[in-house]
Amino acid sequence: MRINLFNPCFNGNIGVILQAYIIRRLIFLIFVLFGVSILIFGILSTFSPERRAAAFVTTPQQAKNIPELIERYGFNDPVYLQYIRWVKEISSGNMGWSIVAARPVFDAFWHYFPITLELNLFATPIFIILGIWLGTQAGIKKDSAFDHITRIVAIIGWSLPTFLFALILLMVFYGYFNLFSPEILSHDLVTFIRNNPDSYTAYTGMYTIDGILNGRFDITLDALKHLVLPVATQVIVVVALVMRVMRSNMIEETSKDYVITAKAKGADKKTIYIKHARRNALIPVITIAGEMAAFAMEGSIAVEIVFNRQGLGWWLAESAIQLDIPVVMCMCLFMGAVFVVTNLVIDLLYAYIDPRIRLS
Amino acid sequence: MKKMKNVQWFKFILIVSSVLIFSGLLGCTDKSEEKTKPEEKTAVKKTIKNPDTFIYVDYGTVRTLDPAVCYDVVGRQKLKNIYETLIYFDGSSTDKFVPVLATTVPTIENGGISPDGKTYKFQIRKNVKFHNGAVMTPEDVVYSFKRNMICDSAGGPMWMLIEALTGEGGTRDDGKIIPGIFDKIDRAVEAKGDEIIFHLPAAYPPFLSIMTYTTSVVLNKKWCIENNCWDGNIANAAKYNRPAPGYEPLQKIENGTAPYFMKSWVPSKEFVFERFDSYWGPKPQLKYAVFKYVKEWSTRKLMLQNGDADRAMVDLNYVPEVRQMSGLTLYEVPQLDYSAALFCQKINSIGNPNIGSGKLDGEGIPPDFFADINVRKAFLHAMDRKTYKNDVFNGLVVMPTSPNVEGLPYHKDVPVYAFDLEKSKEFMKKAWDGKAWEKGFKMIITHNTGNEMRQAAAHMLAENIASLNPKFQIEVRNVDWKDYTVKYRQFEFPIFIIGWSADYADPHNFMYTFMHSKGVYGSFMAYKNEEVDKLCSAGIKTVDPLKRQEIYSKLQDLWYIDAIGIPLYQSIDLRAYKNYISGFVPNAIDSPAMEHLAHIRKQ
Repeated sequence: MRINLFNPCFNGNIGVILQAYIIRRLIFLIFVLFGVSILIFGILSTFSPERRAAAFVTTPQQAKNIPELIERYGFNDPVYLQYIRWVKEISSGNMGWSIVAARPVFDAFWHYFPITLELNLFATPIFIILGIWLGTQAGIKKDSAFDHITRIVAIIGWSLPTFLFALILLMVFYGYFNLFSPEILSHDLVTFIRNNPDSYTAYTGMYTIDGILNGRFDITLDALKHLVLPVATQVIVVVALVMRVMRSNMIEETSKDYVITAKAKGADKKTIYIKHARRNALIPVITIAGEMAAFAMEGSIAVEIVFNRQGLGWWLAESAIQLDIPVVMCMCLFMGAVFVVTNLVIDLLYAYIDPRIRLS
Repeated sequence: MKKMKNVQWFKFILIVSSVLIFSGLLGCTDKSEEKTKPEEKTAVKKTIKNPDTFIYVDYGTVRTLDPAVCYDVVGRQKLKNIYETLIYFDGSSTDKFVPVLATTVPTIENGGISPDGKTYKFQIRKNVKFHNGAVMTPEDVVYSFKRNMICDSAGGPMWMLIEALTGEGGTRDDGKIIPGIFDKIDRAVEAKGDEIIFHLPAAYPPFLSIMTYTTSVVLNKKWCIENNCWDGNIANAAKYNRPAPGYEPLQKIENGTAPYFMKSWVPSKEFVFERFDSYWGPKPQLKYAVFKYVKEWSTRKLMLQNGDADRAMVDLNYVPEVRQMSGLTLYEVPQLDYSAALFCQKINSIGNPNIGSGKLDGEGIPPDFFADINVRKAFLHAMDRKTYKNDVFNGLVVMPTSPNVEGLPYHKDVPVYAFDLEKSKEFMKKAWDGKAWEKGFKMIITHNTGNEMRQAAAHMLAENIASLNPKFQIEVRNVDWKDYTVKYRQFEFPIFIIGWSADYADPHNFMYTFMHSKGVYGSFMAYKNEEVDKLCSAGIKTVDPLKRQEIYSKLQDLWYIDAIGIPLYQSIDLRAYKNYISGFVPNAIDSPAMEHLAHIRKQ
């Protein structure tokens, strides 16, 4: 039976079917995480026990204790035993100790996650909406000045390395105009929060939201000011791809028979382009935008390093370099979960946007 | 026609945008340089940002605040401003001390050190308060030393005190606790009235220097026990030995006596100090100090330029940039460190790509290739020290002659093998009875990834040796630091380029490490000279400065005579402060990350 959940003519119990679909996909998530954990653990265990023990060594003086560290952490044990030990620890809520973050992995994750999430909460809607709008306009006004300008911007945005682009923005706005300083919040406000723990509660770990919840709009505004450059970098780099895909889809859609027929019949251009052509052009864009949003949750290493907002990206990069295994495992599982959930959302959006697509 | 118009449009926009972008970029960088120079002085006069706070930006992560475990410079930088030791170095000196929590520095003359060098007595200061308000007692001092030695984490710094006070290299051997070690620790320190007495099994000249290290800080016994440290009963010591990394009891808490206490700490983000108003000594000028983690150099530089940071960590490759900046006070501080290219005389031949065929057949080198002193001398003559100093370091380096670097007691300049490719050729012709020259060889020199100084040394050696004979082929490869640490210990590198920073300011810490057959590097060079071993052992047991002078002089000569390794560099740290910051006292023992906040003034 083929069921269209978003078809208004459908008389079945939409809620039940939707629920079943989501549950099925979430059960699938468990298998994905299991597979990811085995894969990553297997890859990481290819490093020699000495190499893994060396992760704990910071000075040449400490190197003599590598054999003791191997013995202490059981790096010489068979891989399956190490994996079972890791699974047992995870099941008891212990994800291990992060050398890079100098705290338990679980604590560290919840410290870095809001920083990345806050950046993405602002950057993702902007790059999706802006990308779709720019792509639509460029597609409709193909070969116009607007189209050329947006294409140039897109090419520059997409080809310029994020790190370089972030540095340019920082040098111009902070170095030259002394505006938009790096970090997450101004020194004065950080000092205020630190010295007045009773008058500020970190509900979410995101200053923009916590400022509002604490009735401190100055904190929210300051946090927003510190988000301008990181969000701009993220958006300009990512929007290019969304825009280009949207543009080419729009051009393709507008050259199809149904658009030509509608035009010939004298239908309103706005209705043709926005209601019909854009809707059809959106399907591949949703896939790309969704995946970009999911990737963004991994954190942007360049943005986080240049603007000094240590989030998940910085943490993962440092951990990978230093072979901080518990962190690498944690982040891989997290990203596995993010991608499964993102794909679920994308599928639901497909069905919503195009009634011809059936979830079943 | 329309297409033509579009193409023209496109070209116009492309050119205009390119010009705008590039002129904007160039203009911005140029202008920022120009603007800061004339205006900076007036800006400083107008306002100093955050006048009661010293802000330092660097990129080191603190792993632990437990003095018994912390063995990295970034962690010690924090501990030094939170805790205090009985004595510390006097200003810029590395061999003179001033009392801190003690009232006098023990000497043989004042009876504080016994003539045989086995007993040290310290009178402790009264009315010293811990950050929690408790008053320091002699019991606290005794407990601190015992607790830290009992803790002795894997790879931790406690070996220094344990070696000096018990004669053992640690509390464990092969992972098992050495029988009777805790009783030895228990007997090593005692209090009699206000006097703390240390009993050493043998004379140990660097003992006072070790007493300045963060392993020798004073903790509050009651507070420690409340926080799950050793309970004070020596019978239970084993339970508190070797805590898991990250789970040591004092990992994220502190209670010292120093003029600053930890206000907050977010790892890899910021560490905040606040002035301790009940401090026993002079009150520091600044109320707060914030050490921020800023990984990217450009960000650190801009923060320093805009006054959002008062000091920034400067790596060697950014020194020219910093010299161009205005509004800064720069200090050049030689460090007690030493880097060298070391020859391994017994290379591991099993599956080792670094020695090719493992034979002297033109396709590799034999495992004992560097056991022939002629080969070593040939390599030594191939190192162009002058070019290395000027091109790689822009002159900002001390070119050492032996591991006993400038700033250490009994240092002397010994001869070096001058850069001379003809001599290098002569030695290579003699090596292996002429077979090396006749057959040629292939090998790989490695350096740790990202270390440009070591990379340059590796390339210089490789190119110069290869220029002697077309049959000599040397490849240079980089290896990640962690892998490097593992592989040189597995004797996989024919030449390993490595450095050492002082644990304490005594030649023993360097000469034993590099030259003794059981030293940290000596053992992995497979270098063994009985005379050297005897001298190293005698040097650490001798109290008489004249005798020590003689011993270390001989050892330095032997470094040259035996051609043990190629001395590469002793770093000079360039410290960049805003010019309204004063009070910095340079000391070679302090790593670049170190900052003694009590001295810092901002005005």
